[in-house]
Amino acid sequence: MKLFVPSPGHINSLKELLKEKDKIYSIFMAGSPDYIGTGRSNLASPQLDEIAAQTEYAHKNGVKMELVLNSSCMGGRQLTPEGFRINHWYIEQLANMGVDSIVVADPYLVETMARDFEDITVVVSVLAFVDSPQKAEMFVNLGADSIVIDSNVNRHFDVLHAIRDSVDCELKLLVNEGCLYRCPFRYAHFNFFSHAFGPEPRPNVLDDYYYYKCLELRIESPEQIIKSPWIRPEDLKLYKDITDVYKIGGRTHFVEWILNCVNAYYGESYDGNLMDLLDCPKDLKDLFYIPNKSLDGILGKQWMNCKKVCGKCGYCKAFTKKVTQVYSRGGTEFEAHSPLDAFTVKA
Amino acid sequence: MITSEILKTRANFEEKLRKMIGRPILLIELDMFALPCGCAGITANTRGLEVDDLEVFEPQVLALVKEMAANLDVKPSVIFARLVPGSSIVASLNWRVLCSRCYPDFARGEGKTPRPDLYLLQFERRK
Repeated sequence: MKLFVPSPGHINSLKELLKEKDKIYSIFMAGSPDYIGTGRSNLASPQLDEIAAQTEYAHKNGVKMELVLNSSCMGGRQLTPEGFRINHWYIEQLANMGVDSIVVADPYLVETMARDFEDITVVVSVLAFVDSPQKAEMFVNLGADSIVIDSNVNRHFDVLHAIRDSVDCELKLLVNEGCLYRCPFRYAHFNFFSHAFGPEPRPNVLDDYYYYKCLELRIESPEQIIKSPWIRPEDLKLYKDITDVYKIGGRTHFVEWILNCVNAYYGESYDGNLMDLLDCPKDLKDLFYIPNKSLDGILGKQWMNCKKVCGKCGYCKAFTKKVTQVYSRGGTEFEAHSPLDAFTVKA
Repeated sequence: MITSEILKTRANFEEKLRKMIGRPILLIELDMFALPCGCAGITANTRGLEVDDLEVFEPQVLALVKEMAANLDVKPSVIFARLVPGSSIVASLNWRVLCSRCYPDFARGEGKTPRPDLYLLQFERRK
């Protein structure tokens, strides 16, 4: 198993993470937002000298370093002469300091890196939304060495097998993204992040509509959490004929949280709240308790052959009612779990 | 104010909101604040609470927030919800003791929404 593990981006985090280096194949982190942003929020924005120091430290510990430059929108700047020059210069610096792989979402950057930087492994981001063999082939033809498959198809085994059969490159699965299945906010949200965590000018946003709405939808319909295409540690075995390369999301979390996920996925088992493992929406881990072990066997029994016609099926909704507990009186001596049925949840 | 008090108040308020609305509303953070202008008060950041809920349950919500304010010894001159404009989202409920500089900002407008992101539940006009 190759585990790609997030780092919040500063050397102290890296040192703590690499105390479990035997379980980690590669660290990944964002770079400076001043060049190419990323499609997610960042805690740190390491400058080139800090990235160089962290890359050296990772390599000394036998762990690879991956930089994530997966902005889903660069506003066309990447196509301008100045944008090309800056991006090219930045990637060149990363290549020269020994960064092993770079994750990008923009097809132009895939081709540019593949043509001009032989030593860099070119990784197609999950934010390129590769969800079909056709798209995978196109990215491979552009020069991709590795593709993180769109997590929306994490439970579409026919599609996963078709992608596996169509390309020879490495395939990665993002295992713990808790985003809504077929989320209607996905493109808009990642484009927003790309600008908020990319080069100036950055939008000064008070409230992240997409995030709040995502939480609202799940509070109204908690089965949306169950329908999200995360992969439980216990279910990795069902993906072994597709890939053994897994990516854990969560670079805005504490190291302790990240290492809990590393141990769960490395050990292929977790006895606790499923919400502990999902990188988002992290706020709901204090609301819902879903015993991870209660999901044993369901991927094979139900979701591997699911037709995704929820209105006719209702399995996830019924299952959610059965296993989900809601925390009440949190933070007091009276904290308890109540069954979801204790609330009249909107249909 | 000791932390155990504010924890208890957060939990109680969340519990009562949930019972009223019928959904597991999350009161994600309860803050007491003081601003340099002189305003002070309480902010309850909510997730899952919607504008429709306020419109339907306004008298009940108002009674609840007044009860909570009293528990925390706050006598608010304005109680409002902060919305994400143009959406169903209630981002927070706020109890504020207005300073003399900020009072006119609230006093000038009329109706429930003096600004697109504000929904007034109560405003005490000075005489």
